[in-house]
Formats: sequence, structure tokens, C-alpha cells
Amino acid sequence: MINATNQDRYNRLKKTSTIHYNMEVNQVLSEIMDDFPDKISGMEYFYNKFKPLEIGESLYPKDKKLIASMCIHVPIEIIHALDATAVRICSGAYSADTAGSDFLPAKTCPMVKSTLGALYLDMLPGNAIPDLVINPTTCDQKKKMGEMGDEIDKEFYVLEVPPSKDSEEARQYWQRTIKKLVKKLEKCTGNRLTRGKLKKSIKTIAQAQSEYRRFMRLRKEAPVIFGKDALLIANAYFFDDITCWTQNLAILNDELEERIENNLMVIKSRTPRILLTGSPSIFPNMRTPILIEKLGGIVVYEEFCSSSRMLSDTVAVDEWFLYDMVPAIADRYLKPSTCPNFTPNDDRIRKILLAMDDYKVDGVVYQTFTGCQLYDMEARKIGKALEEAGYPVLNVELDYNPKDSGQLTTRLEAFLESIKDNKRNT
Amino acid sequence: MKKIKIIQYINNSNVSRFRTIIQIAFFVLFVYGGYFFINIGQNLPTFACPYNPGSSGTCYLISAQHNLHITWEQLVSFRGLGFITGLGSFVLFFIIFNKAWCGYACPLGTIQDWITRLRKLTLTRFSHYDEVSFKRLSKVKYVFLVLLILIPLGMSNSFFGLPEISDDMGAPFCQICPGRTILPLFSGDTSQLFIDFTTKTTMVMSSLGILFMALFFVGSFFKKRFFCFFCPMSALQYLFSKIGVLRLVKDGSKCTRCGNCSRVCDVGITAIADDITSKNIVKDDCMMCFKCVEACPEKGALDVKVFNFKIFSSTEEGFFKRYGQGDSLTSKKKKDD
Ligand code: SF4
Ligand code: SF4
Ligand code: SF4
Repeated sequence: MINATNQDRYNRLKKTSTIHYNMEVNQVLSEIMDDFPDKISGMEYFYNKFKPLEIGESLYPKDKKLIASMCIHVPIEIIHALDATAVRICSGAYSADTAGSDFLPAKTCPMVKSTLGALYLDMLPGNAIPDLVINPTTCDQKKKMGEMGDEIDKEFYVLEVPPSKDSEEARQYWQRTIKKLVKKLEKCTGNRLTRGKLKKSIKTIAQAQSEYRRFMRLRKEAPVIFGKDALLIANAYFFDDITCWTQNLAILNDELEERIENNLMVIKSRTPRILLTGSPSIFPNMRTPILIEKLGGIVVYEEFCSSSRMLSDTVAVDEWFLYDMVPAIADRYLKPSTCPNFTPNDDRIRKILLAMDDYKVDGVVYQTFTGCQLYDMEARKIGKALEEAGYPVLNVELDYNPKDSGQLTTRLEAFLESIKDNKRNT
Repeated sequence: MKKIKIIQYINNSNVSRFRTIIQIAFFVLFVYGGYFFINIGQNLPTFACPYNPGSSGTCYLISAQHNLHITWEQLVSFRGLGFITGLGSFVLFFIIFNKAWCGYACPLGTIQDWITRLRKLTLTRFSHYDEVSFKRLSKVKYVFLVLLILIPLGMSNSFFGLPEISDDMGAPFCQICPGRTILPLFSGDTSQLFIDFTTKTTMVMSSLGILFMALFFVGSFFKKRFFCFFCPMSALQYLFSKIGVLRLVKDGSKCTRCGNCSRVCDVGITAIADDITSKNIVKDDCMMCFKCVEACPEKGALDVKVFNFKIFSSTEEGFFKRYGQGDSLTSKKKKDD
């Protein structure tokens, strides 16, 4: 609990951080919206989702509990079925990074620092005030951050993710974890999980996924949209109402289809096609994709837990009763996941290699946040597999501080140039 | 364009519903066809049980047991030819549909699926087993297969100087087969439900027959296709599955190992999801029902083929039609993907 003497300091920190946050948001939004010539009207809806933060009331339904999640391994089907609001709070804000640093070692990953800071200062999207924060044990830093609930006056719930996903033991363990989560959430929301509601929420999310997959198919077909926009769309899914999100993506998809028919591409055919992977880009930390695209490349696929990894995998149920639906949901959040906390994680390599082919990718940019050990450690294996398959890879390390973009720019520029040269020669 | 439409229509279809209908048709054919003077053949790779007065054919297992009730000398003479031609026609029947005989045609399989429906109606959940030990136990089907070959031979020959097996063993598998006890019931014939006290052997065998019938009902109520795990027909079929005309093939590079396929599989085959190297993915318990293909959201990860011709494939659109209820994948202007 924040005591009275500190309250003043807290208020001041919150105020300055909010001002910084809004500056950051405005800056990034204007880059995304104004620095590119393409104007896709279907994107308006999604841009509007990232308005600057106004200190004040929460924008979420007051009569519903708000469950925050910190990773893609939290089954939101269950949260929705219990009539609660699900918000994913992983933060990309540099302005919240400083507040988080007070609680964590200096070398901590900026995403973890920023998320903790945003939680502490209540700087979450739409002024969300979580009733419960579900914290999956998908990396050591998040795990330990979850122990700071008391200090920041938030309730954390540890969701135990197994360290490996291949064995039957891991699967059983995870299924029990999810059953336990159901109990916890039932208690927290005061509602009971019913067959009808869970079925409905599975279908709602399946429709969102189906629309997202259609979006990805259009991107595969032709370069009709930039990666920075694709990332914003996926980021909006963190906190948007799912039905609205799906409807608006459908409108955008229709527009993109039309654009393909009229041959309205956002780039020229020679543009290097980039696959972006590694530590997740989360708004407003959009530096890498924006730079790539400003420097004359296009991101055609993001293998991120803030985008494709969150939205692609599906739930398949055999018997539509709770006894089969809950384990089916559990399976969906474990088996196809390519999160680097799992060992082995060859599925990630296979997924990237398949995307290289499917999306006709020219090169890979592998982004690691300073302090993010898991992605850093996988960079080597993935880089090797890609190089063996004949693709160029650029590893970049960055934190949330937007000031040190100089070196990043130079390296990306050189990388894109070399791809362009290659393309010209073939 | 037309062709693409048809392919799209098929890939979006609900194969399980289609299967339910085909199963009923085959059930009527095999269980009542005899009344309409239909005779399909002697060596069917499925339980068309001749103990059932309405049967329109004969299960190969009974033919095989009869064909093998011969002495060594006969086996290598012209009577052995009976065995060879019997096996030959069994294989010919079998390879057309491959293991889909189990998923679509076998009356015992169909009855088990009906029992599963009944369970769902009673809102009873299926039981969980230690899958590893259950799979090990299910290798018993190969023991049954070997025994149903060796025992008839042992009735006419002496193995290693041991006395010949009593002729009371008759067709030994038939004596314990739930097909013999259950299928005639559908023709109103209860004459198989008895314990034969003539000799010790007949008593033991007919008691086992009743016991297996009870196990069949109880087991398949709690576990889908319980009997199939122990079925020697399935074991025999699997020996020839590789040359089947109908095939289930996987492209591992497109598979995310999401496990959708294995979790909807009635017989719990895990390799269908985890094996990313094999092309032919039919395992011994597989009944080629193709539920896995329906549940796979990755385009072209699983394909059903006749020779090399794709007849049903996994697609995103098909998946969401079946599992997402959504038709949002197909917008106003249809895109053929
Ligand atoms: S395994 Fe045996 S009982 Fe089951 S469907 Fe196949 S032939 Fe019939
Ligand atoms: S459903 Fe398809 S993608 Fe998933 S594991 Fe099975 S074959 Fe692979
Ligand atoms: S592997 Fe597929 S075709 Fe075979 S039994 Fe399982 S679901 Fe049916």
C-alpha cells in the first residue's frame, strides 16, 4: 500500500509519466499515420484505439470484473465466458519504464519494467483498473515481478506454465493449471462457468481468429498494408471489445481485397520483404517496424507474441461439454505455442521457415530487448537455421529509450541495402 | 472456376455428418442385406457376421479360421489355395477403402459410435486412462490375430508333438467375438446368447463370448471405440494398410503441432499431431474417419487422397466453418484460397 507520505511523490510521478506517455503516443502515432503515403480508411478505427491517455475514469463496463493478463498463455475464452473483461497489459511505453525501474534490477527487460510501472501508476489502456492480474510463469523476470503485488497494491495470480510442452506430463500439468484458474476466476467474478457461455466465447474468438487469418492471407497475396499497421491491429486486440475488433477488421479486409483488385499496393515490387521476430513490439514501442518501413522495406510477417502468435492458433473441441472444452482450451494455449520459454522450441524455427516461404520473405530482423534472455538465447539457433536455408538475418538489440535509434538506423539501412542489391542482381 | 468451387465446397463440408449417414447405410446393408438376397462376398474386411441371419456377406476372420483348419499337407496342397485366394480377395476388398472400412462400414464400429452418442445424451463424460499403458494393452489385438491363425492349424496339426487342440474350439475367435453375440440381435435372433455346457471347452469359450459382449457395451460407453483397440480385424488390416488406395497423408512442414487433430481423434492417436516426418500417417488404430482433417486449421497439413488425387484437405476456411460457426472468412467477394 502506498502510504500518505509517499502519496505526493506518487501523484507527481503519475502526472509526469502521463505527460511523457502522451508525448510518446502522439509522436509514434503521427509517425505511423502521417509519415507514410498510404491511406487505408479501414485503419482509422484502429488508430483511434491508441489515443493519448486521459487521467480519469475507466472506459470499461463498470459492472464487470476486469482481468488483466500478461501474456498469450492466458485463456481469454474463459475470462469472457465468466462475463469479465480481459485486458492484456504488456506495455511498450518508455514513459512507464522509469517507474518500474524503482522495483526491479537495472538489467531487467524493459517490457517487464514498463508493465510493472504502468500497473503501479495505473497507466493501462483505457484506464483499466484490474481486479486480478494473471501472471504466467513464462520468464524469470515476469515470475519475480509477480511477487511485487503487495508493493504496488495489485493482486497477482501465478499461472504455472510448464517449462516444456511436448510431454504428456506437461500437458496434464497445464490442464490442471487451467482448471485451477477456472476456479480462481469463478471466485473472483462471482460467476459460474457454464457450457453455453464457454461455447459462445470459443466461437467468438474463433471468428476473430478467422478474420485475422484472412487478413494474413491478404498480406500473403500482395503488399497491401504495412507491418506497422498490422502490428497496431494486433495490439488493439489486447484491450478492444472482441466483436467490435472482428467487425472492423472485416471492414478493413474488404477494403484490402478491393485494393488488391485495383492493384493499389503500398510499396514497389522491389521492396525488401522482412520478417520480424524476437522480443515483441508493443505500442508505442514500434521503433523497429517503423524504421524498417521508413528505410524502404516492408514487414510482411511478425512472429511475435504480440501479433501472429496470439491470434493464429485455434481451439478444437470434440464434445461440447465443459469436461472437454476446458482441456481443449488448455491444449490450444500450450501445444502450438512457440514461446521461447519452452524447451525444446523447434516449432518456432519450423514456423519461421514456413513463413519465409509462404510470405516470400527476403530477410529476417531479429529483435531482442536488452535484458531479455530467452529471445537472446534463441537468436543463435534460429539465425543458424535461417542462414542454412539461405536467408540473411540481422540481430538487433534495443531497449525502450527512443533516443538511441542512431545505431539501429544505420544497421537496418545497411541490411536493407544489401537485400536490395541482391534482389537487383537476381 | 467451377472446379475450385467444388473443391471448396467439399473442403468446407462436415465429413462427420456424411460419415454418420454412410455408417447407417452400411449397417443396413451388412445386417439386413441378406433378407434382400444381397451377397457381397465371403472375405469381407469387416464384421459382416454370418451368425446373423440377415447378413449380406461373411467376415474374413471366420473364412480364415475355416481355411486354416487344415493339416500341413493340405496347406501346401490345393486346399492351401483356398487360404491364398481368401486372403487375396480380403486384400482386394480392403485396399479400396483401406481402414475407412472401420470408420464407415463396420457394423460393430457403428454400434460403438451409437453408444458414444448415447453417453453424450446422458451427459456422461468419457473416462481417462493412462494412455501409455492403454496403448500397450491394445497390442493384445495382435495376440488375438496370431491365435486365430494358430489355433485352427493346431486343431488339425500337432505343434511340437503336443496333442492336437480340441475341435470344440471351432472358429475360436468367433466364439468370443462380440459380433457373433450382438449382430444377430438386430435380426431379432437371441440364439447366440447362451452358455454351451456340452464340454469344458465350449463352456469356457461361450462364457468368454458373453463376457466380451458385456465388456463391449460397458467399455465403449466409457471409452470411444473401446473394442476397436482389441480388434484382430484391425490388426490384420493394418498389415496391408500401406498399399491402400485411400490414403491419409500429412505434410509436416505445414503442421504447427497444435494437437487439434489428435484431440478430436476418437482413438486418441497422438502421432497424427506429433509426427512431422511421416507422409503416410495411418496408424494401426486409425479408422480413417477423417475427423482430424476436419479439425486441422492449417491448409494442406492433412490430406485425404485416392491414389495421388486429393479428395479432402484441411483448410482454414473449412476449419472455421465447422468450429467457428463463422462465415466471416468468405467475404462478399469470394476469394479462392
Ligand atoms: S477395429 Fe474392428 S470392430 Fe472396430 S471398426 Fe474396425 S473392424 Fe470394426
Ligand atoms: S491439426 Fe493440423 S496443424 Fe494441428 S497438429 Fe494436427 S496436423 Fe498439425
Ligand atoms: S487419426 Fe484421424 S482418421 Fe484416424 S481415427 Fe484418428 S481422427 Fe480418424
